[in-house]
Amino acid sequence: MTGFLQNTFNGLVSGAFYALLALGLAVIFGMLRVVNFAHGAFYMLGAFGAYVLLTEAGVPFWAALVIMPVGLALLGMALERAFVHRLTRLDPLYNFLLTFGLTLILQDLVKLRYGVQSSPYETPSALNGSVDFGLFDFPTYRVFILGFAVAVCVGVWWVLTRTRVGMVVRACTERPELTRAFGIDVGRWVTPVFGFGIGLAGLAGVLAAPMRAVNPLMGADLIIVVFAVVVIGGLGSIFGSVAAGFGIGLVQAWGEAYLSDFPIISQTIVFIVMAVVLLWRPAGLFGREEAPA
Amino acid sequence: MRRTVGVTAASAAMVVLVAGCGGGGPQSGGDGKLTGGSIVLGVLNDQSGAYSELSGRNSVKAVEMAIADFKAKYGDKAIAEDITVETADHQNKPDVASSKAQEMYDRKSVDIILDVPTSSAALKVADVAKEKKKLYFNIGAATTDLTGKSCNKYTFHYAYDTYMLANGTGKTTTEQVGKNWYILYPNYAFGQDMEKSFSTAITAAGGKVVGSDGAPFPNTSGDFSTFLLKAPTLNPKPDVLGTMQAGAELVNVVKQYNEFKLREKGVGLAVGLMFITDIHSLTPAALAGTTYTDAWYWNFDQQNRAFADRFQSETGTRPSFAHAANYSAATQYLEAVQAAGTDDADTVVKGLEGKEVDDVFLRNGKIRAEDHRVIHDAYLAQVKPQSEVAEPWDYVKVLKTIPAAEAFRAPSPDCKL
Amino acid sequence: MLRIENLSAWYGEAQVLREVSLDVAAGEVVTLVGRNGAGKSTLLRCVMGLHAGQRGTVELDGRNVGKLPAHRRARLGLGWVPDDRGSYATLSVTENLTLPPAVGPDPWPLARVYEAFPALYDRRDSAATMLSGGEQQMLALARVLRMGARLLLCDEPTEGLSPLLVQQVGELLREAKRHGVTVLLVEQNLHFATGVADRHYLLAEGRVAEAMDNSEVRSRERELLSYLGI
Repeated sequence: MTGFLQNTFNGLVSGAFYALLALGLAVIFGMLRVVNFAHGAFYMLGAFGAYVLLTEAGVPFWAALVIMPVGLALLGMALERAFVHRLTRLDPLYNFLLTFGLTLILQDLVKLRYGVQSSPYETPSALNGSVDFGLFDFPTYRVFILGFAVAVCVGVWWVLTRTRVGMVVRACTERPELTRAFGIDVGRWVTPVFGFGIGLAGLAGVLAAPMRAVNPLMGADLIIVVFAVVVIGGLGSIFGSVAAGFGIGLVQAWGEAYLSDFPIISQTIVFIVMAVVLLWRPAGLFGREEAPA
Repeated sequence: MRRTVGVTAASAAMVVLVAGCGGGGPQSGGDGKLTGGSIVLGVLNDQSGAYSELSGRNSVKAVEMAIADFKAKYGDKAIAEDITVETADHQNKPDVASSKAQEMYDRKSVDIILDVPTSSAALKVADVAKEKKKLYFNIGAATTDLTGKSCNKYTFHYAYDTYMLANGTGKTTTEQVGKNWYILYPNYAFGQDMEKSFSTAITAAGGKVVGSDGAPFPNTSGDFSTFLLKAPTLNPKPDVLGTMQAGAELVNVVKQYNEFKLREKGVGLAVGLMFITDIHSLTPAALAGTTYTDAWYWNFDQQNRAFADRFQSETGTRPSFAHAANYSAATQYLEAVQAAGTDDADTVVKGLEGKEVDDVFLRNGKIRAEDHRVIHDAYLAQVKPQSEVAEPWDYVKVLKTIPAAEAFRAPSPDCKL
Repeated sequence: MLRIENLSAWYGEAQVLREVSLDVAAGEVVTLVGRNGAGKSTLLRCVMGLHAGQRGTVELDGRNVGKLPAHRRARLGLGWVPDDRGSYATLSVTENLTLPPAVGPDPWPLARVYEAFPALYDRRDSAATMLSGGEQQMLALARVLRMGARLLLCDEPTEGLSPLLVQQVGELLREAKRHGVTVLLVEQNLHFATGVADRHYLLAEGRVAEAMDNSEVRSRERELLSYLGI
């Protein structure tokens, strides 16, 4: 029982990263119809930025937790203005190529300066201990990540569902053309939403720095799973991406714990789940079929 | 291994073709000449990926240092004035390694290929060396198959292998830290090979593997907590967690080992394969007290340190054991050509086999004739606590020197040169 | 109020409107009738600014709006009632109503909308797509009234509705007209059209084939119905 609870907890912690990344991808896809392949690179930049801030400017984790997401959101907005929005009217393939190329460039720039070796980043001292849950204790940092990610997801959910800004974003996401016909300048919302999605990726990166290897390729592997998460949740579905993020974290953790005799299954379980979901619901768990034009 | 007549004929035809196309000198027949009048050393390794730091471009630098030293030593008497280096990036992909190796031998007139990390790529290059009848010193890869079932006349395995790592770390840790092990390995060829080697060494030393798990490779979530949480719950409780992960995955395992405070829970840490660059990534504080087997350490003695100082002035960083081994391998190859008076591969191989060598990397070294394993002293090393780190990169103290004869396995009966 | 001159439109290579010219005076209700594929919906989309491949002039209150994007045209007082009713699944009924800004001098307050549409009030927190087809049509009309739009562009508002609801839609449009709202209506139901509209344009193969008044439509009803294939 203790073991099960621990594995569940860990699954949720992994899921927290998936959820934050998938949430950003989902709002970007919803608003721009762009699959942002560079999302993993921005996650990496978040973690690397925290490292650089700490080692070269002495900026602590807590400050990095604010600086990096905001800084990357601004960078994302600049990139959206400079490149992405020029391509949104064309075949989606163009933005696929753009964001994929961007990934390679960002990775190699970091590689050029800092090499491929992982860079050290320590857990902030306030979060270094363990929290006693009676049956078991758990690293404080993990508890923090889970709480923080849930708070961010709830906050985003609240903004999206309870505010006028959220209403407009939902409308733009669901039916951009119709929304324009109702007097709302959809284009004006695109840039900040893109920046916001990128900022979430950066936030996940900063959170990852103390517990994951910080290196230029750290986003490259992770993002493959995140794409699976987004597809499972339903492309563009905000709630679906968060729910699938935590769900896939759990499935992976349980798979590793209880299917370790079947490594083939435990290694591919995410994609097995994805295949099953797509056969059952082609638009994903919480996705809707595209409305007819 | 037998070859069919067809393959032999084909490769012979290839040699003729290449000699014809290259427009260089005639195929040498051991008559004291060099092909093309020059010696070309090829460094084939990972120049952009996970292993580019521990070998990569700095291995090329090490080889260039070896050439400069060789020229300085022999001056006018050097067998060749023209000694150059060709390099290529194999991206850790076996197919790329194979085609780059062919290109090096055939079109770049490379006399010897050096380095080649990543076991699967290393084995492919061994096949090419055998087919082209050209020399190949493997440094960066760990698989014992290079001197086992995949050995051949032109391939030498220079720096380390999974047996050396397992025997050093597995045996000593079992004797000194604890008998019960939990092994965590990446579930692919290298990891499985390491798990097997470690289990054998631990059992032979009187220890017991109470559990072993293959983690997904690559581990896309970056999370190893399921396995780390499992370790203290096993019965009997393991004294040692042996992790066979490498590079960034090793960094993840160690970070999370510390997060879950396994050391405080009585589970020590042993690392299968670690490079000085890994310790640098994790900081010695994260690894303090961890033991592992090292093939060479830059601050071990005055000779090593002198080399490391020169290396640092060239590259700005301290050498990993792979860098030192590349330097040594290039040096020993050039010495062998100098002694033989030719770069003819068969003649050079004859000169190398059985040779006893001592240099900055090889201590009590010997190039075994039976399987072409280059044996030398290895070291059981322990990561220092942060408080004892006197200068950057000074992360390790050597607990014990493992004599060359004990450090490596006896020649394998699987190997027929 | 609305003047269209020599408007042509394409879907890729296919030309769907050929130099259409028509005008709608303030306070008028004008219908576009025609077979499926005659270009009626495309014409509405061109007026709204939602169709990219077009050439010609669209004037609103004497101002050429051809270069304005859809959201700027909406702010000049256009109210869009799309043929699929334009309900947002991710927005509640209330949100569907309050999403668009007020664009005219006389926007309905939410309370008045709910007074006029008690069925919508009952389902105000449901997702709009959970409503019945008729309710969604009411929602679409209520939305443009709430915007205070001066020119409604209604694409087949009676399609698929029960006779009772059709009647209700008719009353709504007449009420809007009484308040000085102009309506351009795409409609297949001739009986409904003559009940609410002042004039009619028959579109055929992308051209204005005929302009008719109510009496002419009534007298030629049989002929028109068979032409429309109904």
